[in-house]
Parts: sequence; structure tokens; C-alpha cells
Amino acid sequence: MKMLRLGAIALLSAVAAFSPAQAGTMFLGGYPNQLMVIDEAKSSVTQEIKLETGLPMSMRLSDDGKLLYATTITTSGIEVMDVATRKIVNSFSLNTPTTRYRFTGGVPDRSGRYFYILATRIDKNLDTFRISKLQFMVVDLQTKAVVKTADLDAEDQKFSYRGALMLSPDGKTLYAFRDKVIVVNTADLKTVDHFDLAKPDFPGMQDVSFGGGVGRLQTPGQFVSLFETEDPYIHNKTFGVARLDLDTRQFTFTPIGPSPRALSGLEVSPDGKSGYTVAVNGDLGSQRCEFWRFDLDTSKALDKAEFPCRRRFYFGISGNGQNLYIYGAGFDVAVYDAKTLKPKADWELTHDTTMSGMVIIP
Amino acid sequence: MKHLRPINKKAERIDQAASMTEEDVVALQQGPDKPKPHVPMGCTLSFSPGWEVDAGGGTAGLCQPVERDIYDCYVTCFWPVQVADHVNYSPDWAANCAIATKDWRKLDLVFP
Repeated sequence: MKMLRLGAIALLSAVAAFSPAQAGTMFLGGYPNQLMVIDEAKSSVTQEIKLETGLPMSMRLSDDGKLLYATTITTSGIEVMDVATRKIVNSFSLNTPTTRYRFTGGVPDRSGRYFYILATRIDKNLDTFRISKLQFMVVDLQTKAVVKTADLDAEDQKFSYRGALMLSPDGKTLYAFRDKVIVVNTADLKTVDHFDLAKPDFPGMQDVSFGGGVGRLQTPGQFVSLFETEDPYIHNKTFGVARLDLDTRQFTFTPIGPSPRALSGLEVSPDGKSGYTVAVNGDLGSQRCEFWRFDLDTSKALDKAEFPCRRRFYFGISGNGQNLYIYGAGFDVAVYDAKTLKPKADWELTHDTTMSGMVIIP
Repeated sequence: MKHLRPINKKAERIDQAASMTEEDVVALQQGPDKPKPHVPMGCTLSFSPGWEVDAGGGTAGLCQPVERDIYDCYVTCFWPVQVADHVNYSPDWAANCAIATKDWRKLDLVFP
């Protein structure tokens, strides 16, 4: 009996040693109004959290990792979840019977009081709808209302409201990323600078992974991601890794190579040494999708491997950096080995995933 | 009008504008400078695989079956497909349907 017990202990120890000990907890948006909580070690949904304001379109972890902010499209809502207890601690809709807002995502300030969004306001008048220009807006999470707005400059009006936002640690500067980087003074929401770097994201993807993968690489106050630039003469596009100091507004750009047709965002291993992206070349019948792996110390591409394209998909990395995830447009997550870039498993979820992206906590 | 020739700049602009309207207008055409595949109208009135197209008019690499990604059209109107509109008129269309591929029979009926 003792031998059996010792054998059982040894077996359990072996299982523990081979189980993904550092595997984290994954949050995914699910139809029609859920946040799915997925245990990476169990590869299954362990909890579903209902969002009263509707269908989640973005998620973002606070800098300290204690709160998860989700925005919803059904009623233009914002929901705040306590990560430790998995309870919704704040939930409200910006819409009124005569006013609606369109926005995707946003960024909370350090105090947790204000939430910055890039949005359009639609007012229903007696005989017309009045649609505002694209605006930076500040939402007070206590009074649950928009408290400050400012139109983007005329030359930035074509900027998509899907542009991702980052806030400097001192809260004085807001950055909006898309076709270029817009630098905004949060005191008056006026644009003070532009950087001619573009986020080379795949059109079907959204920049929702900033609070997850890239956040792990960030030293405080530094934003690191793939960016794209082009020369002014023959307009050859080059992609590379840019490091942006959010406090000083200084950035460095290390070119890596010619841009493919589209790139996903950068996902980074927990040790900060390896970066991964998805490159998409061709279109329609000739589309090819590849994982690319980079050495972030030398900013060089190391390896690549093709995988079956989905017409619309999102890209993520596991909490321990051992798996790469392809998901979206369905109810499954395709899991690939981060070292070999080969398929490992396919997880079935309980809901179709929304466009809210993926947040993973340890 | 072929025997008329513009003799000043304004007339030239009018002539150019008029000549632009002579091009064929094709359903779902995105613009004169971006020729794309011309897709048939009525991509799917039912859940019949094979008629759906993507944003570029392509039919390759789609999410199959069609129910797999029907929600993208529901939320963002990405495909020119006749499904309910989540944001304005039918927020509860998919309220009982967690996975469209499996539960599509639970999608609500919408009467215009």
C-alpha cells in the first residue's frame, strides 16, 4: 500500500512537472454577451461572466493587472471586472434614447476614474440624425458619463475609431495608433504631435492585445510593437520593431525587412526575448498565412512557418509563452507550439468568440 | 456630344465628369480605381454555403460553414449578407444562440 501511495505521489509529481505550471487564465469575449474564462492548463472554459451592456468588443487589463475593462457594442457600454473575484464592479451604458456612441476599446488612467476613448456621437433629432466628427472623449467611470470631448484635427478625421490608445504613466499624454501615431495632451485633448509610423495590422484584426502580450515586454512607460514605415520616394514599406517612451515621446525604430501585405500585432514571450507575429501575403484564392518569430534583442527574424489561413482571425500567445493561438470566427482556438510553430491542439469553447481579443493573466 | 469640344477649363472639367459617368456601374463596386471581382447580389438569403463572399469579393478561404462567421456580419455588416442588424434593430437576434454553427436554429426570426 505504501508503495502504491509513493507511486501515486511520484506520478502526481511527474504530472505536475510536465503540466504547464505557468499556464494562465485566458479571457475571451463570447456571443451574445459573455466573457469566457478559460484555464490554459485544462484547455477548457471554466466560467462565464455575463455582461449586462451587451456584446464585448474589446478588453483591456489595467496597468496593475487588477481590473479588466471591457467595452460593448450593443449599448455602447463599459464594464469593469475585478480580476481576483471575477465580479463586475462597474457597468453602464453611454447610450440614451436619443444619443448613441460608436467606439471600440479605450484606455483607463492610473486612478481608474477616467476612461479615454476614440468615438463618434450620434444624436437623433426631430427629423435628422446628427453624427459628430471623430472625437477623443473622456468617460468618468464614477458619474458614468462623457465629461470631456475634442474633435480630432481635420487631417486626422479619416483615422479609424478602431485605433488603439495608450496613456503615458504620468497621465499627461495620450497616444492613438493606426495609420500614424497621434500624440495628444490629455489636459485639453489637443493633438500636439504626429509620428509617421503606422501599425501594420491585418485589417480583420484589432489591437486588443496591448494589455496582454505586449504589456509583458513593456518596461514601465515603454510601448513596444511592430510598426511600418515607408520611404518618401518609391514608397517601399519596411516593418520593424519600434520602442516608444510614453513619457518623453521619444521612439526608436529598428527596421527588420520589407513589409508583407499585412502583419498582426507583436506577441512577446514572457522573458521578452522572442516576438511573434502573423504575416499575411496574397489575397482571395492565393492567400498565405505564416508565423514569424523574432529575436527581440537583435530585432532579427529567426524562423517562419505556414499555417492554414482563416478569412478572419486573431492572434495571441499563451501566458507561459509556449503556445500560439489562432482564434476568431468560430468557437475554437487553434493552438500551435511556439518553438516548432506546428499545430498542437484545437480547443472547443462554449460560445463563438467576438472581436474583443484575448487577455491572459498569470 | 462628340462633335463638341471643350475650349476652357471649366468645360473640360464638365466633360471629364460626364465621361466618368459613362462607365458601367456594377453592384457592390467599391470605386473606379480598384477593380475587384464582381460578386452576385443576394449572397445568401438562407444559410446556403457557397454564395457568401468576403470583403474583397472573394470566395476562397472563407470560414466554412457559413454559420461559422455569420456573427461578423450581424455585428459589423462585414459581408453583404442578409442577416439582422445588431446595433440598430435586432440586438436580441442571437441572444439564445451561443455557437452559430451548432445552435443556428435558435436564432430569432426578424420581421421587417
